[in-house]
Amino acid sequence: MLFFSYFKELVGKEVTVELKNDLAITGVLHSVDQYLNIKLENIKVVDEIKYPHMMSVKNCFIRGSVVRYVQLPVDGVDVEILHDATRREARGN
Amino acid sequence: MASANKDTGLEYLVNQLISVITNDGRNIVGMLKGYDQATNLIIDESHERVYSTTTGVEQHVLGLYIIRGDNIAVVGELDDEMESTLDLTAIKAHPLKPIQHGA
Amino acid sequence: MASEEDGAVKEPLDLIRLSLDERIYVKLRADRELRGKLHAYDQHLNMILGEVEEVVTTTEIDDETYEEIVKTTKRQVPYLFVRGDGVILVSPPLRSA
Repeated sequence: MLFFSYFKELVGKEVTVELKNDLAITGVLHSVDQYLNIKLENIKVVDEIKYPHMMSVKNCFIRGSVVRYVQLPVDGVDVEILHDATRREARGN
Repeated sequence: MASANKDTGLEYLVNQLISVITNDGRNIVGMLKGYDQATNLIIDESHERVYSTTTGVEQHVLGLYIIRGDNIAVVGELDDEMESTLDLTAIKAHPLKPIQHGA
Repeated sequence: MASEEDGAVKEPLDLIRLSLDERIYVKLRADRELRGKLHAYDQHLNMILGEVEEVVTTTEIDDETYEEIVKTTKRQVPYLFVRGDGVILVSPPLRSA
């Protein structure tokens, strides 16, 4: 639940999602669900020359299972809150 | 669910043109007819866009397809305006790589 | 000494908890390695790392000599969420005296 809650707080911010097929998509985080499926708005593929496959796509749904990384905005990370939430989660398991 | 968690379902895409990227790197375009929790999709009037570095994009008619959610990487909402200005024959690119779970 | 709750290492994830706010090494699938400060993790080993350096190792075969050419590509990322299903191993920082 930790990362589901975390990503919900991040809604409205710009992130870059890197997939396991090496595609990287930047967009505004619209929503996230319990599987960490992600919806992005106003997307831009990072290397559009190499990957023109999504040129006419503005908004997209990314299946959580194909995500490798999400690059997070610096103002979207509060280190203290994350540490506390992680310790709380670790106790619960 | 909390209000911050807006709907992650695909309801708003039903009867819209979507572009699906599958885990094996294919790109399938069609009309979304239905979906479920596991991201299984029903797509009507679908066709595959096959990317090539030499000939531009070829379209292969597929028809009514059901794609299993486990094999879906991305579901994109096609923007009609951008789609109408797209010249598929001019787009030359390698096919997408498959999703690499292993190795 | 830390309290019993904080200090006890009974299972593997306890060792990772002790690495919070420390720089760790993470080996991932697809020949990727990360070094960064651990800010959050869960039981799947999903993580948030800070001041991350990623190293990707690729091998190409030379067209003429058929020799393997090993290349590494490095990049820096301020904050990175890492999905746990790609994690092979996590190494805590060295605790030298």
